[in-house]
Amino acid sequence: MNKPNEARYYVHGVEVPQTPPARAKDQEPWDETRVLGEPLPRVDGYERVSGTAVYPADMSLPRMLYGAILRCPHPSAVVTGVDTSGAEGMAGVHAVISAFTPEDDTTRPHDELIRSTLFNTRCRYEGEAVAAVAAESPYIAHDALRAINVEYEVLPFVADERRALEPDAPKVHETGNQVSDTERYERGDVEQGLREADVVLEEEYRCECEIHTPMEPHGCVASWDGDRLTIWESTQGVYNIQTQVAASLGVPLSKVRVVGHYMGGGFGSKLQAGRYTLTAALLAKQTARPVKLTLTREETYLAVGNRPPSNMRLKAGVKRDGTLTALDYSGTGTGGAARAGGTSLLDWLIRDLYLCPNVRTELTDVYVNAGPARPFRAPGHPQCAWALEQMMDALAVAIDMDPVQLRLKNVPTVSQGRNGIPYTTTGLQRCLEEGAREFRWEETKNEIASGDLNGDIRRGVGMGSGLWAGGGGGPPSTAIVKIYSDGSINLNMGASDIGTGTKTVMAMVVAEELGVSHEDIQVEHADTGTTQYATASGGSKTVPTESPAVRAAAIDAREQLFEIAAEEMEVDVSVLSLRDGKVVATGETPREVNVAELQGLRRRGNITGVGYRGPNPSDKAVNPFAAQFCEVEVNIKTGEVNVVRFLGAHDSGRVMNRLTYQNQVFGGITMGIGLGMTEQRLLDVDQTGKMVNKNWHDYKLPTAVDVPADMTCVPIDPHDTECNTTGAKGIGEPATIPTAAVVANAVYHATGVRITDTPIDPTKLVNALAAARGGE
Amino acid sequence: MLPQFNYVRAQSLEEAQQQLSTDGARVCAGGSDLLGCLRDDVFDCSKVVSISSLNQLRGIARTRDGGIRIGSLTPIAEVAASATVQETHAGLSQAASEVASPQLRNQGTIGGNICQKPRCWYYRGEFHCLRKGGTTCYALAGENQYHCILGGYRCYIVHPSDTAPALLALNATVHIAAPSGSRTVPLDEFHVHPRDDPQRETVLQGNEIVTEITLPAPPPGLRSSYRKVRARGSWDFALAGVALALAFNGDQVVSGRIVLSGAAPVPWRSREAENAVIGRRIDAATAREAAAAAMEDATALKRNAYKIPLFKGLVEQQLLAIAGA
Amino acid sequence: MAKNQRDKDVETTESTGLSRRGFLTRVGVGAVSVAAAKSATAQPTSRAQALPATELSRITLNINGRQRQVLVEPRWTLSHVLREELGLTGTKVGCDRGECGACTILMNGVPRYSCLTLAVEAEGVEIVTVEGLMDRENLGPTQEAFLTEDAFQCGYCTSGQIMAVEGLVRNNPDPSVDDIRTGVSGNLCRCGAYAHIFAAAQRAAAERQGVGGES
Repeated sequence: MNKPNEARYYVHGVEVPQTPPARAKDQEPWDETRVLGEPLPRVDGYERVSGTAVYPADMSLPRMLYGAILRCPHPSAVVTGVDTSGAEGMAGVHAVISAFTPEDDTTRPHDELIRSTLFNTRCRYEGEAVAAVAAESPYIAHDALRAINVEYEVLPFVADERRALEPDAPKVHETGNQVSDTERYERGDVEQGLREADVVLEEEYRCECEIHTPMEPHGCVASWDGDRLTIWESTQGVYNIQTQVAASLGVPLSKVRVVGHYMGGGFGSKLQAGRYTLTAALLAKQTARPVKLTLTREETYLAVGNRPPSNMRLKAGVKRDGTLTALDYSGTGTGGAARAGGTSLLDWLIRDLYLCPNVRTELTDVYVNAGPARPFRAPGHPQCAWALEQMMDALAVAIDMDPVQLRLKNVPTVSQGRNGIPYTTTGLQRCLEEGAREFRWEETKNEIASGDLNGDIRRGVGMGSGLWAGGGGGPPSTAIVKIYSDGSINLNMGASDIGTGTKTVMAMVVAEELGVSHEDIQVEHADTGTTQYATASGGSKTVPTESPAVRAAAIDAREQLFEIAAEEMEVDVSVLSLRDGKVVATGETPREVNVAELQGLRRRGNITGVGYRGPNPSDKAVNPFAAQFCEVEVNIKTGEVNVVRFLGAHDSGRVMNRLTYQNQVFGGITMGIGLGMTEQRLLDVDQTGKMVNKNWHDYKLPTAVDVPADMTCVPIDPHDTECNTTGAKGIGEPATIPTAAVVANAVYHATGVRITDTPIDPTKLVNALAAARGGE
Repeated sequence: MLPQFNYVRAQSLEEAQQQLSTDGARVCAGGSDLLGCLRDDVFDCSKVVSISSLNQLRGIARTRDGGIRIGSLTPIAEVAASATVQETHAGLSQAASEVASPQLRNQGTIGGNICQKPRCWYYRGEFHCLRKGGTTCYALAGENQYHCILGGYRCYIVHPSDTAPALLALNATVHIAAPSGSRTVPLDEFHVHPRDDPQRETVLQGNEIVTEITLPAPPPGLRSSYRKVRARGSWDFALAGVALALAFNGDQVVSGRIVLSGAAPVPWRSREAENAVIGRRIDAATAREAAAAAMEDATALKRNAYKIPLFKGLVEQQLLAIAGA
Repeated sequence: MAKNQRDKDVETTESTGLSRRGFLTRVGVGAVSVAAAKSATAQPTSRAQALPATELSRITLNINGRQRQVLVEPRWTLSHVLREELGLTGTKVGCDRGECGACTILMNGVPRYSCLTLAVEAEGVEIVTVEGLMDRENLGPTQEAFLTEDAFQCGYCTSGQIMAVEGLVRNNPDPSVDDIRTGVSGNLCRCGAYAHIFAAAQRAAAERQGVGGES
């Protein structure tokens, strides 16, 4: 199976034809930029810091009701009865729906959908929806949930994926607990490669399940005007929601409008419509009133996705000179009780990151009675890096080679995982070299070696690298740039700004081409009713997907403007340029005209430029690369790890905005510290199968005191002129891929103890350190 | 979402006690712990009796004998920042500054902090555990990485407070307003061990209110400290913590207490560790010996064996630090 | 100012605590207009009136310098009242259980979680929300600092972060980096903008001290 496993999860379920190629001709790569690359504040910064930005959870509509969902408290159960009479009789309760509401209730539309899809009576994970209510306040809604009596037949469960394939494990689905045949990949001859190696190491690794928990809980407001439905959803992609809701309700797309102007984080968990979205729509239909349904924090832990736990084994061979000879890898994971990509992309770095002729991988995805996975910031990659990058570190120690040098020895120029097609660019070597230099890698290692090696506090440094299987973007996307009659600009695009700064970057692209300030550009986005088609913002593809379309639209608008200007100024189009709201004609008699004074423009009212995202280069791979470095201090008596500083050197192509780019790098590192050091879903696997830490106290996100204040971002721009017309690749996901392993490597360097299971915290480290000291 | 309850904000201590005398009434000081419990349906509450208007219960004062009196409603942040506390009872200040998060230190009171309900996730979660009147402690055979290694008996919680261990080390006394008049209880006797009653955390009756906490004047040469190790830098309760209050004569420890947090269902005074240092000079060997003594009776559950080396390392480091060794 | 009235030798500590002087009046749902007669500044009574769980009671909240009368159930949190009753949605709710800080506001000048505070407990307290940092349509200095340093991504935790920093710099004009990290350690940011938040807090402190314009 050599086909690249590049699951385009972000457009899952959405079938769209390719848009026509770009109409604009003048799309050579930029040499120098005037606006792009600058550290500019965001175009919507005012709204976000003033509190005026309205997120779906903030929405309020006249007569709006509040929805809430009752969820199954058992990991495996059959719902044998739901008595909603107590809830229905409560003052302020307007609708109660469940699979057991009488079938002859004609006031309830979409009965079959409710019965079969929203409230399945066979619950396979804790948190499956059982009933829902709409009421006049969220308090009453939750009172109503408490008043619903559900009869469950509780069934045996399996919650630990490591036990799912044991013969006596309860079956999650009747077909058994293996989701599909084990996925295998092989190139070269692994056995031969292992024989050629001077050193062969083998190790097992585990990454715990991580939950997205965006700050804004999942939710929406649904409102009907007759047969037309409007949904304000906290989402990464309004068109995904529109498609899924329309299909589920059996109505045309034109009857469903989805708006998602602001959203409080998603990280992959808000790419799709939730059952809660449909629930809100149906409650709104039944009550003929708008319904806001915001999940509780606890629900977001159970029912709207996670990064699957991963169990990995890696055997690797290396020669004394650092040449990798073989990688033999297997992984298991679980998407919970659904077919949800439990091992999605879990072997991609093994296949693609380092030069290695002999590679074998196998991935086994199993079902357990736990909440379904959803894509989570670089699916599979941080886990795979946890294994591979720790293994590279161990190999470097074993052959007495610097870990940076070992990686430099194995930098690929072609995508081996895709049958050897070249990358458009790979900045991995520069990431490693310039990152190490900026970090003072060599010097720091020397300082540590000559410092106090006997105290309780030990310093260490670690590094690792990565790439992201996506990050190149691609069609389809359509954007529109309007030049108003006064010369000011409107940008219309469908993409969501999930906090990465998409609106700002796109405004900067327009500003670059049209010679205006990015702050003067009105941005309309993320509304299926009024903005252009865009795929969801996920996969680190939003900037490389949207920016070429936006650029094309701007150029198209500019060309139309120049046609008008050339005629009125009586010059050839070729001598025209735009600067500060003026059309400038160079030549023997340089002249300029305010755009607002162009009669042709005033007569037309405005100019509409359209841009489409053209295709990616054929037979080339577009991928971002990364190298990260960190320094830690470890208290060897208590196992406390203090991350002192972190550096991310990233090749994500052109830096569109230095501030938002850096923010992504630091954010990725922060999230990686969470995976590596603090986060894990804990299920009561031996007793009830229930999640014991479904809140932010017991499930620990890194806080401000868990991340270093000293963070450095080193952008590496290889001037990629092939990937697309803006030279940008994605940054959001690569920024979190190596991080956890980098911490593990630094802890090893500091202590000589290697922790192969996440998270590295005192509960793991102190035992290992005590064991290493011996006698305790 | 919070369930329904009646609410009254008492205008006097007497009124508060009276209001608390009805079934299902719960006292609310800072409210952070109470509201959390109500939200999680940990126990029923038909009436919240707020004492937040009782301003006479606030404030930190030096007593005439050189001790300190702390009103029970004093916010934890004020205890942490108090120059009075820092001057003579630094360990308490350190403990207070380690509590939860800045916002919760601004909200939570010192009285509430020593009366906290356990943070055991089975107790807080949808499990009808022993402490909630059930028959099982789920922690015993379940996810017990944060549970006790000392003093467990039928229930295996750890006491969540940071300030209580520091106060216990500093020999604090709890002053309680009772309907029959006020009474005082040494902090040593304030918390209820599960052996005595697995459903109670303190000796308080339902209509009793902690009014103040007093600390005796520091003995000559007193040094005190508190440190906790946790899984993350904020919000978290102790994986392991140690409060020291040791009186030195020169470099000799002449008296004092060593109290562990995150170890046992109640703040855990380690007499074994105390005996290993009292009358001695703390050097590396003494510290190690005392640390080992503190863990002499420790028994690990399935997932918390790490606590034993962790406590050993922590106690050792803290003893050396306080001795200036 | 916290004072222990019973003893003369109390020290006068600088109190950051909340002293409450609010008085509650109760009205039935059907008697709103009548009950308005009992205002929040009514005579203190020696005995408090119990507020029934099932009825709405009138309270007065001092929010951003304005007295706001609102009918509440005893169980309603301050964040609920701010957002759903008064439309002050700059204050966000991320967890509704005091574990994220998105709902952070200032109460008598110190940061608190409004999701873990009953609205009825907030009477007599000066409440400042993110909206209260604005000077009409102009951003306050802390907000401006967040904008300049790009100290947010999705923006949902941002109001809370800003209020935590505002509380910090009001009480500590020259915070160290460690002071800042501790000061915002009760505010989660899942996007991980902490490093930029630290920079924004430094900028906000500098602006307040007036050194911002000198460099």
